[in-house]
Amino acid sequence: MSSTEESAAAPMVELTHVTKTFHRGAETLTVLDGLSLSIAEGSFEALMGPSGSGKSTLLNLVAGLDRATSGKVRVAGQDLTAMTDGDLAAFRARYIGFIFQSYNLMPVLTALENVELPLLLTKLPSADRKRRAATALRVVGLEDRADHYPRQLSGGQEQRVAIARALVNDPKIIVADEPTGDLDRKSADQILALLEKLNKDFKKTVVMVTHDPEAASHARVTHHLNKGAFQ
Amino acid sequence: MNLASLATRNVGRNRFRTALTLLGVAVAVVAFVMLRTVISSMEVAVTHAAHDRIGIRHKVSFVMQLPRRYIDTVRQTPGVHSATWANWFGGKDPRNPREFFPTLAVDPASFLEVYDEVAVSPADRERWLADRQGAIVGDQLARLLRLRVGDTITLSGTIYPGNWVFHVSGIYTATRRSMDRSEFLFHWDYLNNALPERRRDQIGWIIARVDDPSRASGVSAAIDRTFDVQDIQTLSMSERSMNLSFMGMMSGLLAAINAISGIILLILLMLFGNTMSMGVRERTQEYGVLRALGFLPKHIAGFILGEAAALGLAAGVLGLALSYPLVQYGLGRWLEENMGSMVPYFRIETSTAAQALGFSLLLGVASALIPAVRASRLTVTDALRRID
Amino acid sequence: MVPVSYSVRNLMVRRTTTAATALGIGLVVFVFASVLMLGAGLKRAMGRSGSADVAIVLRAGSDAEASSGIELPAAGLVTASPEVRVRPDGRSDAVGEVVGVLALDRAGGEGVSNVQVRGVPDDVYRFRPSVHVVAGRAAAPGSDEVVVGAAIRGRFRGVDLGQSFEIKKNRRVRVVGVIEDRGSSFESEVWGDIDTVRAAFGREALVSSVRVRLRSAGQLDAFKRAIETNPQLGLTVKRESVYYEELAQGTTMFLTILGLLIAFFFSAGAMIGAMITMHASVAQRSREIGTLRALGFSRRSILASFLFESVVLSLAGGVAGALASLAMGLVRFNIVNFATWSEVVFTFVPTPSIVASSLLFAALMGLLGGFFPAVRAARMNVLDALRA
Repeated sequence: MSSTEESAAAPMVELTHVTKTFHRGAETLTVLDGLSLSIAEGSFEALMGPSGSGKSTLLNLVAGLDRATSGKVRVAGQDLTAMTDGDLAAFRARYIGFIFQSYNLMPVLTALENVELPLLLTKLPSADRKRRAATALRVVGLEDRADHYPRQLSGGQEQRVAIARALVNDPKIIVADEPTGDLDRKSADQILALLEKLNKDFKKTVVMVTHDPEAASHARVTHHLNKGAFQ
Repeated sequence: MNLASLATRNVGRNRFRTALTLLGVAVAVVAFVMLRTVISSMEVAVTHAAHDRIGIRHKVSFVMQLPRRYIDTVRQTPGVHSATWANWFGGKDPRNPREFFPTLAVDPASFLEVYDEVAVSPADRERWLADRQGAIVGDQLARLLRLRVGDTITLSGTIYPGNWVFHVSGIYTATRRSMDRSEFLFHWDYLNNALPERRRDQIGWIIARVDDPSRASGVSAAIDRTFDVQDIQTLSMSERSMNLSFMGMMSGLLAAINAISGIILLILLMLFGNTMSMGVRERTQEYGVLRALGFLPKHIAGFILGEAAALGLAAGVLGLALSYPLVQYGLGRWLEENMGSMVPYFRIETSTAAQALGFSLLLGVASALIPAVRASRLTVTDALRRID
Repeated sequence: MVPVSYSVRNLMVRRTTTAATALGIGLVVFVFASVLMLGAGLKRAMGRSGSADVAIVLRAGSDAEASSGIELPAAGLVTASPEVRVRPDGRSDAVGEVVGVLALDRAGGEGVSNVQVRGVPDDVYRFRPSVHVVAGRAAAPGSDEVVVGAAIRGRFRGVDLGQSFEIKKNRRVRVVGVIEDRGSSFESEVWGDIDTVRAAFGREALVSSVRVRLRSAGQLDAFKRAIETNPQLGLTVKRESVYYEELAQGTTMFLTILGLLIAFFFSAGAMIGAMITMHASVAQRSREIGTLRALGFSRRSILASFLFESVVLSLAGGVAGALASLAMGLVRFNIVNFATWSEVVFTFVPTPSIVASSLLFAALMGLLGGFFPAVRAARMNVLDALRA
């Protein structure tokens, strides 16, 4: 069963009859079974489901982190199905902004440098990189913490730096995997409000995996997954 | 910050472990430098041997002596520029019986001519030539025995028994590294005249300078041929060959030292490898994040190798910095003063320092190769998922 | 008490790191044990050469046999002394020998080396019952036959069974046998008939040394006094074991210093290696430690557990290293004896005490290296550890 949204423009994310299987030794595990999904540009969608439902696997396919075993994957106008690893890497750098559950900032870099990280893949000169990173930090309200190291920041602040990092390359899609999983209620609300701001004010398409119904309520559409299929 | 500096920044990640690794490698580097310097200092005698000198001694054994008239024959041999002789006296200072230093009975004028690396002031030289009981001593020996020009010293002879009285005429220094600066040189005439008739006019060995160094072996052979038909045969060879033979007698020791140096390098590799693989394993998720952001496997490998290179270089520099005070100024000074005959020059050669630094860098990078390859081969999702 | 199996299983789980650290420690122990074995070999070569109940007599002032000369009448007086043991056949249990140092070509052709040659009387084997002919036969007295020590056999040209070499021009000697003496320095010598050697080295009417077996070791003082106070003799007496100790002093000191330095550096390296691994192990298992503490295990048991783990790790490496070092027993090691200036060949001698010391050393390194990490583990706050 599929869940679609009618829209005039081409969808930002289009998965068609996508299957993903894993091999554990002699066993074959089918995580996604002939799924189809369409997400419109500028939408904010949540993927929910119990553990093992395949929601993270689905997110990986949308983000170009993994390849489908069968089916078609089109994201941001790019056909990901036939891409090589190198192409996928370039795709991610250009179109996707990542936010993970554990903040995955590099502890040896300052907040500013962490945000600057994705820009190292571009040809921008150092001064431009720093300016863009500072701008991204301003968006998340942490420009005064630019020189702080992750260990000097609270959990919520670290996640905001991660969001700034996700923004800095001006991606088309923000992909968030349990962004509030490790946070207390107050910080979680801050993060979700920020995501909404990115969606409404900056027109970013947001795809979020969560198990928290409160978090999902910030999204426009929520998809429920169970055992690799939508419900 | 750029891609290159990013690699080195990770060195600061686990300060304690990095510090320990640096220390461990530095210790290994110091040991390596020490051992290689032991060998290079022993080779100094070989590498800095005079190219134009040959030694002539009794063919059967160095403890047997040559007739004094042999020196005239040698001087007349074609190709020989000048020649001198010496007797091993084997003297001891009764006040310091445990101190060993070479004592030689020589012909002063010709000795200074053949051994031009022995530097004495003109005043000291004149004093020595004028006093039959005079002796010149190396500056290190002078310091060891607390001798000054004008002092009188009595030595007891182990080969020529009795107590022998000398006046210190001068102190010499060396213009060449290989020269022993702890020798005691006195007049051969003084020794010879004191001997009973049947032990007179015997010399220990002859040293000759040849006009053309490239013909040294030819002249050696010619000298031996000349004496072959007489009652006492000679064995002549260039100074370099003599020192090489001596090194050969130590071949077991040298092989052992080389083997240990190799083992040190292995240990270095293991220290680095352990640290790098631990670090890489811990950061698998982080590398996954970088891959997600769009960094390629080659970037990841580059970061790991870059970090290893930075670590290797830092460790090498630290090790060298420690080596100079410990090996050269600590151990080196002690060896030069107390075993100066065998080790007249204990300095860290530039090649040794370069080797130490180079190996540290190379092995640091080499040890990270397998972790780097393995890390870069992981798929992004595996890396992200991994909680080691 | 935390179960032993916990420590062992933890080591097995982190297999690569454990193996790398153990291997590193193994290398350190290998070198440590080898150095000890070399020292033991040297001691044995020197020690087995000298007995407590034998006295050696040299010319006064001489350090070594090769530079000493005793006239035959004086030698006769010495062997007739009342303190000297008399054999059942009525002869004194003593020998007078002529010793010289011969220049021989190395077998591989890499230059010349010095070998000690001993001219022995016909009853030498009765004086030294520990010396055995292990190949060929003993040299016939009064002939041009010689036997060679097992350690130098084949190392020089012409010095092997059935071969011959020149002891002096036109004076060839044939090798008819090989002798062994439990690794003593006699195994680095060539033994020939005393008159043949005397003629070759020009020692007419002389012996280099006289060795006597005293009635008992306690007789030395009386013997020494009697000989040394006789002004006409001009001789000096030493206990044979002391003589060899002194001969080996220079070489021993050199090797000891080198060995100590190496041991120092290597133990530092081993400790640091153990420290790095244990430190990482502790850091990684914070949650586990918290759980153990929450379950009720005391701080002390945590400390003991980690110390135990560190010791097991080091011992594993130590056993490997000690086993590997046993292989060194097959290696022959040559070095110059700085006192006699001749080559001495000896072997690495593995003894049970060396193996035990090596294992103890490994355990100690593990203990010291793992101490701080273990303390850190014990001092962890339970809640912090669980939350890690």
